[in-house]
Amino acid sequence: MAWASFPTREEVDFVVIGSGSAGGIMAKELSSAGFSVVVLEQGPHLQPGDFKHDEWDYTENEGLVWGSRKGHPQTFRRYEHEKAEVVDGAPLGYAHNVGGSSAHFSGNFWRLRPIDFMEASVLGPISGTNFVDWPISYEELEPYYTKVDWEIGLSGVAGPWDPPRSRDYPCPPLPVKASGVLLERAAKKLGLTAYPEPHAILSQPHNGRPGCIHCGFCNGFGCEVAAKSSTAVTMIPLAEATGNCELRTGCTVSKINTDERGRANEVVYWDENGTEQAQRAKNVVLSANGAESARLLLLSESARHPNGLSNGSGMVGKNLMFNGSSRVAGLFAEPVNAYKSVATTRVIHDFYSIDPKHGFYGGGGIDERSLSRGLPMGAAMGGGLFSGKSWGSDYKNSIAREFSHACSFNGHTTSLPLSTNNVTLDPDVKDKWGRPALRTTFMNHKDDISTMKFFFDRSMELMEAAGAVQIEGRFSEQGQRGGVHLLGTCRMGNDPATSVVDRYNRSHEVPNLYMVDGGSMVTSGRGQPTMTIMALAFRAADHIIQSARRGEL
Amino acid sequence: MSDTKLSRRAFLAHTGAAARTSIIVLSVPMILGASTQARAAQAMQAEFTTLSATEAAEFAAIAARIIPSDGTPGATEAGAVYFMDTVLGGSHSDYLPAMQEGLMGLQALAQSRYSSATFYSLTPEQQDLLLTEIEDGEFFRNMRFMTIAGTFTLPEYGGNRDHIGWKMIGFEDRHMWMSPYGFYDADYAAKGE
Repeated sequence: MAWASFPTREEVDFVVIGSGSAGGIMAKELSSAGFSVVVLEQGPHLQPGDFKHDEWDYTENEGLVWGSRKGHPQTFRRYEHEKAEVVDGAPLGYAHNVGGSSAHFSGNFWRLRPIDFMEASVLGPISGTNFVDWPISYEELEPYYTKVDWEIGLSGVAGPWDPPRSRDYPCPPLPVKASGVLLERAAKKLGLTAYPEPHAILSQPHNGRPGCIHCGFCNGFGCEVAAKSSTAVTMIPLAEATGNCELRTGCTVSKINTDERGRANEVVYWDENGTEQAQRAKNVVLSANGAESARLLLLSESARHPNGLSNGSGMVGKNLMFNGSSRVAGLFAEPVNAYKSVATTRVIHDFYSIDPKHGFYGGGGIDERSLSRGLPMGAAMGGGLFSGKSWGSDYKNSIAREFSHACSFNGHTTSLPLSTNNVTLDPDVKDKWGRPALRTTFMNHKDDISTMKFFFDRSMELMEAAGAVQIEGRFSEQGQRGGVHLLGTCRMGNDPATSVVDRYNRSHEVPNLYMVDGGSMVTSGRGQPTMTIMALAFRAADHIIQSARRGEL
Repeated sequence: MSDTKLSRRAFLAHTGAAARTSIIVLSVPMILGASTQARAAQAMQAEFTTLSATEAAEFAAIAARIIPSDGTPGATEAGAVYFMDTVLGGSHSDYLPAMQEGLMGLQALAQSRYSSATFYSLTPEQQDLLLTEIEDGEFFRNMRFMTIAGTFTLPEYGGNRDHIGWKMIGFEDRHMWMSPYGFYDADYAAKGE
């Protein structure tokens, strides 16, 4: 099979910008349907054998997640009247490689539930926010969640805790960890249900890939045996094998151009040698993630699109949501060794929706984790938790015990969409290509913080019930300063005045442009958005293919 | 990527060799003792490529108070200062000027408190008192960062010699683990929960 190669001056059916959770699926689905596809990916094509257990490189040298050290500074501020400052690392974090963040995620795959799609109708509006219903229902998305289960490859077990599903998981759940046992036993004591965490990580062979070997370098690392179901090992190989898809790595897109009718017709980018190129296209799929897609639309301003491309509503970049979090660490008498295997193996969803009588909006889940992702350097950096000392003999004695004998119960929670939380183009700071840097303006709604506090309190109760001998906890009481779930910035809706894409992820304004990634999420879900991002991608691709068959594309 | 391949081969060689593994475990303290001494001796004569001899001695002395060798190996035996020498001359060269400047500040403090031109020549008690004075500042933060990184990251970067840092906290870098991973999951399985 010869890999496809297309000349830039001839139109391809689709240019897909980004090869991550959504882009990888779009590339595979569209090329499998016979369309010619060029995928532009700014990072390299790392193979399973390229991934290393190298904490220094991945966490400090920006091996996968690029920031200032790699020439991609980002700026942050709380409020719009402030000047944003460059922040170390990447406040909006994502992996720069084929597969995007699906290569380094922890693979916790929660479906949204029926309530997520219609919560504003059920609860009523929340003043000062853009909290609205989705234009689609859970039932419409369910077949695509099942497609994710089987084509991407999930491990889990269907149960009464699950939203309705048409088919069971393809692989059984991953083995419970000691930390998961502690959470499960604590839940039982408190009358709650801890059930096996669903993962986009294989517990046994599926679709030609092996099961997890539990090496522990999972969250923030790439899988060296391809058991983690990233699009780099699930979708991209299938896309390339069609002979219709050309994957171009090391390509950074600078602009989407439009023709005199206002249709996208060309994607301008720097290739791996830094040479400017422009690929002609009949259609463009923008799957650069919930931060970069908005940035690229804003960068693609023109006389015809003075506020940026597809931004007549002014909503591009707004409603940025991360999901809240809280963490309660507990020290135990016996070894836990939470650093081994996957990030988490049990989850509690009894507090999916907090009773409105508490006086605030929110909900989420609680799972169990290692401290600092079970990484030796990271754990030592944040260590000394149970001694109150950050250096010296007491500190050393504390880290000697807490790495092996501690775990945490973590809350993953809702974020409300606000116009004042957004990504924009920094007026002063530029990246290595001379593009305005990503500027984040973000301060949580007070209900986000109340929700984090609620989950913090529940985790404290669980940790006490689990029998921890010492407990320490924290959450972002003063508001979050970044995140890795990049949601809401190109929101989906029926009304072009208040949303960026329609119910099939098609731009309201540019009929041959599709934004498919976390940006289209209308609400944040309860903390693990990637499964929904993938299901939306399968659904968007299916709609494009059906439309084309009817001659409506 | 040859490192990955090599260690994978090593991993494959070890699977199914439980008896051999137990022999290795038994002999680890002996091997460790011998190699630590050998390396320490070698290290004394090693040239630093980024740090001056005085800077290296001072940084090593600070690292030795952050993760002390109090009965068990610490940052000194892990060779954290060699990690610093590597990364301050490479990926983290942007840290170097501030760290050099910070060291001069600490030496000035040693001079004013104890009339000593150097930090490393003070007693451990004096050193701890001085470090407590500066522990909220940027210099100490950088020294703590570098010391911990140099004790717990991959030995390829010059520190964590003989995996001293990893042994300190009970971490083992393997390519594969099998359940049970800890006490509670073993107990859960035993009780058939």
